[in-house]
Order: sequence, then C-alpha cells, then structure tokens
Amino acid sequence: MREVILLTAALLACTAGMGWLALAMERHWTQVHEGEATAAQVLRMRALGTLGLAAGLSLCLAADHASMAVLVWVMALAASALAVALTLTWRPSWMRVLTCFAG
Amino acid sequence: MFQSFRHAATWVHTWFGLVLGFVLVVVFFFGSLSVFDREIDRWAIPESRFEPQPMPSFDKVLRPVFDTMQPMKESVDAMRGKVDGPMPERFDTVRSWSAYTTHRDPVLLLWASYEVPGAQDPHDRVWGNRTIDPRSGKVFPDDQLKIGSQFFYPLHYGLTLEWQDLGAWIVGFAGLVMLVALISGVVMHRKLFREYFTFRPTRNIQRSVLDLHNMTGVLALPFHFFFAFTGLLIFAGHYFPVTHTQLEPLHELHEKIEEQQTGLPQDRAGVPAPLASVDAMVAEARRRWTAKGMAGEVGLVSANHVGDVNGYVSVWRAGTDRIANVSDGIHFKASTGEVLYEEPPLTAVGSVGNFLIGLHLQHFRHWLLRWFYVLGGLMGTVCLATGLIFFVEKRKKQHAKAGGQSRRVVDALAVSTITGMLVATMSILVANRLLPEALPSGWPPRGDMERYVFWGGWALAMIHAFVRSAPVAMDRLNPAWHEQCWAVAIMAVAAMLLNWITTGDHLLRTIGAGYWPVAGVDLSLLVTAGLAVLSARRLGRKALAAMPVPRGGTAHA
Repeated sequence: MREVILLTAALLACTAGMGWLALAMERHWTQVHEGEATAAQVLRMRALGTLGLAAGLSLCLAADHASMAVLVWVMALAASALAVALTLTWRPSWMRVLTCFAG
Repeated sequence: MFQSFRHAATWVHTWFGLVLGFVLVVVFFFGSLSVFDREIDRWAIPESRFEPQPMPSFDKVLRPVFDTMQPMKESVDAMRGKVDGPMPERFDTVRSWSAYTTHRDPVLLLWASYEVPGAQDPHDRVWGNRTIDPRSGKVFPDDQLKIGSQFFYPLHYGLTLEWQDLGAWIVGFAGLVMLVALISGVVMHRKLFREYFTFRPTRNIQRSVLDLHNMTGVLALPFHFFFAFTGLLIFAGHYFPVTHTQLEPLHELHEKIEEQQTGLPQDRAGVPAPLASVDAMVAEARRRWTAKGMAGEVGLVSANHVGDVNGYVSVWRAGTDRIANVSDGIHFKASTGEVLYEEPPLTAVGSVGNFLIGLHLQHFRHWLLRWFYVLGGLMGTVCLATGLIFFVEKRKKQHAKAGGQSRRVVDALAVSTITGMLVATMSILVANRLLPEALPSGWPPRGDMERYVFWGGWALAMIHAFVRSAPVAMDRLNPAWHEQCWAVAIMAVAAMLLNWITTGDHLLRTIGAGYWPVAGVDLSLLVTAGLAVLSARRLGRKALAAMPVPRGGTAHA
C-alpha cells in the first residue's frame, strides 16, 4: 500500500512538473491563457516544473531500490510528457489547474 | 555529396529507416507483448491458469522428471553430421539439468543437456526441455504452444527465422540502425525542444503523422535508446562470436584458469558418484542469503555432470527485488553437498552489465514499470509506423503527378506490416481457442497449427493490402487501412468471447477472483478492439473525404 501511494504521488509530481515545463513555453501558454506570460511567470513555471520532476525522483527513490527507482522515474517522465502533450492537444483547458500556481 | 551534415543525416534516417523500419515495427510490437509473455501463456494454456509457484523440491518433484527426459528430436537432428560414428539412440551422459522460475511462473520449465559421444566439437550438446506443474510434477504436453514466451518472444528477438540464426542477425542489424536513426533523427529535428509537447491532429495527414512520429520518438527517447542498446548487448556474444573463433585458445585457457579459481570442474572425471540431496543444498544456500541480509527465493537450480564425481550443483537467487535476473550463486559438490564456491560480489563492470541486461529482460517484480515498458514499446511501434506512413504521404502527391506505382508498393507494405501484424496476432489467439484439444491424426502438432494460422493471417492481410492499393496511386487513402482495423476489432472481441466460451473464464469471474494474467489479456483485447474501431471510423471518413475529388483535380492539386 505504501508503495502504491508513493508511486501514485511520483506520477502526479512528474505530470505536474512536465505540465509546468510545457506552460513555460509560449506556444502552450497561449493554448491555455489569453495574452503572453510575463518573464517572472515563465521563470516561476520553469522552477516549479523542475521541482515537480525532482519530487517525482525522490518519491520513486522512497518507493523502490535505487537501481529500479531510476528506471521507474525515466519511464514516468516519458509517460507524463505524453499525457501532457495529449492534454494540450485535446483538453488544453484542463491545464489551467497548473497555471493558478504561476501567479 | 550532401550540402550539410543535416542533409546526410536525413538521407540515412529516411532510407535505412525505410528498409529496417518494417523489421523494427515487428521487433517493437512483439517486444511490447513479450513484457507480458507469461500472462499470454496463461491465456493460451487454460490448464496452466493457477498462481505462480516457488521452486519445488528438487529431490521429490524435479529429479523424477529429469530422470525420464531425453533430448528433443530437433536437437538430435541438428547434431547429425557433426558426429564421428553413429548417433546413439539414447543419451545418458547428462551435462546439466536446470530449472528456472520467476515470480510470474505457475508452470516450471526444465531443460537438460547431454554430451554426445563422438562429437567433433566436444562442447556440442543435445538439448531437451519439458514443462511441468510444480505442485504435482505432472508434465504438460509438448505440442502446446506458449504463445507469449515461445512465439511472441522469439519473434521479438529473432523473427522466428532459425536457419543459420538469420533472424537474430537481421534484428541485430535493425537494432544498430535504430540507434543510428535515433541519433540522425535528433540531428534532423530542428525544433526538438520547441515542439517537445506538440501534436496537431489536423486535416493534413502529413503534418499530424510527422508530429506523432516526432512526439513518440522524442518523449520516449531514453527508452528507445536503452532498449536498442541493451538488446544488442544481450546478443553481443552472438554478434561477435570471437570466443569460439579467433580467441578460441584464449577462451580455453580462461576456462582452465576459472576452473582452478572456482574449483568447479569443466569436465567429467569418468568416476561414477551419486547425487546427494539437492534440497539440503538449496536450504544451505537460502541460509547463507539470509545471513547476508538478502533472504530470497531460488531462481535457478542446475546440476552439472550428473552421476560423476566431478558433478556440482549451482543454486542462484531469483532477482525478484533486483534488476539483475539472478544473483549470489552458490555451488555445491554434487556427491557430498559441501560448498565448493560462493560467487564473490560483482565487480563494477559486472554490475553495470547485469543491470543493463536485467533492465531489458525484466524478470523483477514491478508492475508499474512493466506497464511503462509496454507504453515505451508501443510508443516505439507508433514512431516506426508513422515514420513509414510519413514516407508514403510525403511522396504520394509527387508520384501521383509522375504516375509512378512504387509508393503503392511501399504503402501496401506499410498496411501489411502495421495492421497486418495486428490481424496476425489476433488470428493466433482466435486459433488457439478454436482448434480442438486433440487434432485428428496426421495433422501437424497443435502448436504448429497455431503458428501456421498466424502466418496465414498475415499473408492474407498482405494480399488484401496489395489488392486494395489502387487509390494510393491517385493520392488517396488505401481502404485496406480501415478494413483491416475493422478485422482487428472483430477478431479481438471474438478472442475474448471464445476464451469465455471455451474455458468459462469471463471477465467478471477473472476480475472477481483477481486472476489478472487472464483478465489483463482479455481487457487488453477489449481496449485493442475499441482503439481499432476508433481508427477504422476515422480512417474510413478520411478515405471517403478524399473520394469525390475529380480525376483531373488530383493532378493539379
């Protein structure tokens, strides 16, 4: 059970991280919001994105032996990036959950 | 020859990708299925639908089965011509008896190798194997095909072309080309980071196909790279067989030195000796693992030089909680049970090697990672498939103008490879449930019949793709695309229903009982059917949308 919670949290952290990194890009920001993001907002989203991915890695390391955790994390990055890309294609409005952290 | 490095990279990517892309689609798709090979085996062999079992007692369960084993006819036939003098009727000089199991195996695979008197190369052996129910020792029939581990898995690494190991060589070359294609693809891609999350499923097929190709390639780039690389690594000894060619003397010397260091004899002494209790040796191995703080199950047991005073027994720990397949081997003297040699901790290079090979073969317990591997493999399949489709789409217009037919061929091959492969996969599953348990005498073994249906289904799909390919020459969509998607959808549902009818294991029962191997295959079949219907409708609409263009219109478009 502990593993399930940790790995679910890791997946969420990676997805949020990838989402913020996507929103830090002008093209994707404008898919979700009107107008351009300010330089400060872009910076904040990059920072949040990096933190999200790092949190994902720590959660993976807490769940499994390090050699396995690294593999899980790398694959979680691919899966979450795919999820973000497909959300941006078909349901960009869902990404607003993340922009409220952008200030 | 080329204006720039990027042009050169594009040329390599396009043409090598086109030729080997067909092979790589097959390798990636059946690799993805092989992630769940044991589970597909359960679906295909209903008598084996029970919980995974630990390694059973060697003395009580395995020994009596090993005692009755003999090499397979195919293996003996392959030895003919490599022996001085007549081929014996029976083989009684056992080189090794082995049993390997993982946390996903209800049934146990045993294999035995025998020395061949008069063999020109004394290293040559003949092999036999047998599958048993480890709870009772009951033997499963040899003509049952484990569709996952004995068919999809060999397709993945060797295309089941066994002659001269041709398939393994083709796959190896394709793996190398995959690495080249990944690197040249990154060089070609002008906006790798800017388009990292970009997918535009617009009306323009060429645009959306290229987006999908880039997206599935780039997002799973580490997966694609490491799996192509570690796949080559696993077969390195096969692709560079120097130990038995140029470096043979060095190899022989190394064997001798290793024998001195480990005390594990390479050859028989010729002095008979009994085999002591292997169960006692297994108990001692487990005690030593526990003392090291790594209590675990037995993954691999093998008895070498059985019946000889030089005999020894090796017990390896299952890698359920590690990336490496097995580890911490302990070797015992077969006649007395005393410990001869305990594997020392691995060197750094050894550990990295075990990690890289283990991450590809994945015998560890981690269901999330397992599903991630399926996702990575399917993304690779989509990347390769869209690459092939893009090749056709990009050239269709030009060739419609020029009146060439070559794109028709490439398109029909793309249909055969992509949807045809799915049709073939569904055919073998349907055949597995439809063929009677006992076939009339004179028929090929049941497992062989299933293989024939697979290849027959694929051949039919190919014929269909070529017959229906005329619209491609006029810059339209081949109707075979959506027709084969419908076929896949119908056959996937049929396979699920046939499993219910023939075994009584419907989804409510398997999910209720938590028997995920079978429930998982059935659910995957339903998801496949759903996706196939969606694709069929979309492709059908596209084929129709392109229809009403007047003949003169296409030429000027």
